[in-house]
Amino acid sequence: MNEREVVVKSNAGVHARPAMMLVREAMKFPCSVKLIKGEVEADCKSIMSVLGLAIITGTTLKIRAEGEGEDEVVANIVKLIESDFKAN
Amino acid sequence: MEKKLILKNLLEKDHDIKLRIIAGSGGLNKEVKVGDINRPGLTLAGFYDFFASERMQIFGLGEYAYMMNLSREEKMEKYGKFFSFNVLCCVFTHNEMPDDLFIEYANRGNTPVFITESQTTRFTTSLLHILDEYFAPCVTLHATLVDVFGIGVLLFGKSGVGKSETALELIERGHRLVADDMVTIRKIGETLLSGSSSPMLQHHMEIRGLGIINVREIFGIRSVRNEKWIDIVVLLEEWDSKKEYDRLGFEERNYTILDVEIPYIIIPVRPGRNIPVLIETASLNQRLKKHGIFSAIEFDKRIQNWVQAEDVIIK
Repeated sequence: MNEREVVVKSNAGVHARPAMMLVREAMKFPCSVKLIKGEVEADCKSIMSVLGLAIITGTTLKIRAEGEGEDEVVANIVKLIESDFKAN
Repeated sequence: MEKKLILKNLLEKDHDIKLRIIAGSGGLNKEVKVGDINRPGLTLAGFYDFFASERMQIFGLGEYAYMMNLSREEKMEKYGKFFSFNVLCCVFTHNEMPDDLFIEYANRGNTPVFITESQTTRFTTSLLHILDEYFAPCVTLHATLVDVFGIGVLLFGKSGVGKSETALELIERGHRLVADDMVTIRKIGETLLSGSSSPMLQHHMEIRGLGIINVREIFGIRSVRNEKWIDIVVLLEEWDSKKEYDRLGFEERNYTILDVEIPYIIIPVRPGRNIPVLIETASLNQRLKKHGIFSAIEFDKRIQNWVQAEDVIIK
């Protein structure tokens, strides 16, 4: 299992498009990927689940992956969030 | 998503209880931290062990009559001691108005005092209901909740196994969506689980290839509901040829959520299997069980009776 914490800094929080980018990144890997905000856990492979977290600017998120590709997927998602969803 | 309950929220009109504030309005921003209430009869009589001052204090006719029978000196002593604890708030039922001295103490300590015209028991029931809403244990799960023939079906499964597509097909067949992909589950009492969607996602679902759709707009108001008891948990999983699936249905498996056990079935998914029909049937079967009819066991009895009868003939 790999887990890292990251603070969302992008201005509009995670609205539909950034959510899609997170999901797309998670879908590249076979492992389970979770986004955790406080006590609420969301499946990072589901758009509705990610949107349901209501991530706003300043939200601290935990990214937890388990299984094949866990290190890479966590690194990629952290990079995506830290770059304010401008990667690629 | 945790909501805080502030005393002034209780004055809002959308609640089942009708309260008026008569004193201590300076304390209206206090937060209610426990979901219990206290009848302060024993406390007023002078027994202060176990005094739960952090709870809402409900003064019924008994407490009121006791207070009215006190002399001014006794009142000063008793109220002084009572309010020396950090009392959350007081509620007088039956529209009974506490005396001026009580109000004076309440104002001094910024302890809100409410009155209501309801009877004590009825008021307490409504209040506990509201408190339960706020303090019920809660968990958010990655699942889809559909009301199928009145049975709340919680669909689990890895992303991509077809939860949303199954839900969509069920909606198309006249059933109702409660929440897609993210279900907030609250435990009501000891044995009931209530599922709902987060307000932001309500009535929407994501279907691969279509994107996000508004189920209520597309299928109409009868295709959605906001909240549903959870009656059965269904796990959708890809068919594993090495795994033994239940063929008879004698055994009842349970899935535990918030310490509540809910009947649980696993449905293997394979191209060509009509999952929505299986779920409809599972729901109807569950309804039968609720009515005391257990198909698998009834069938077994029938076979046994038949076998015994055949034995007799052969003999």
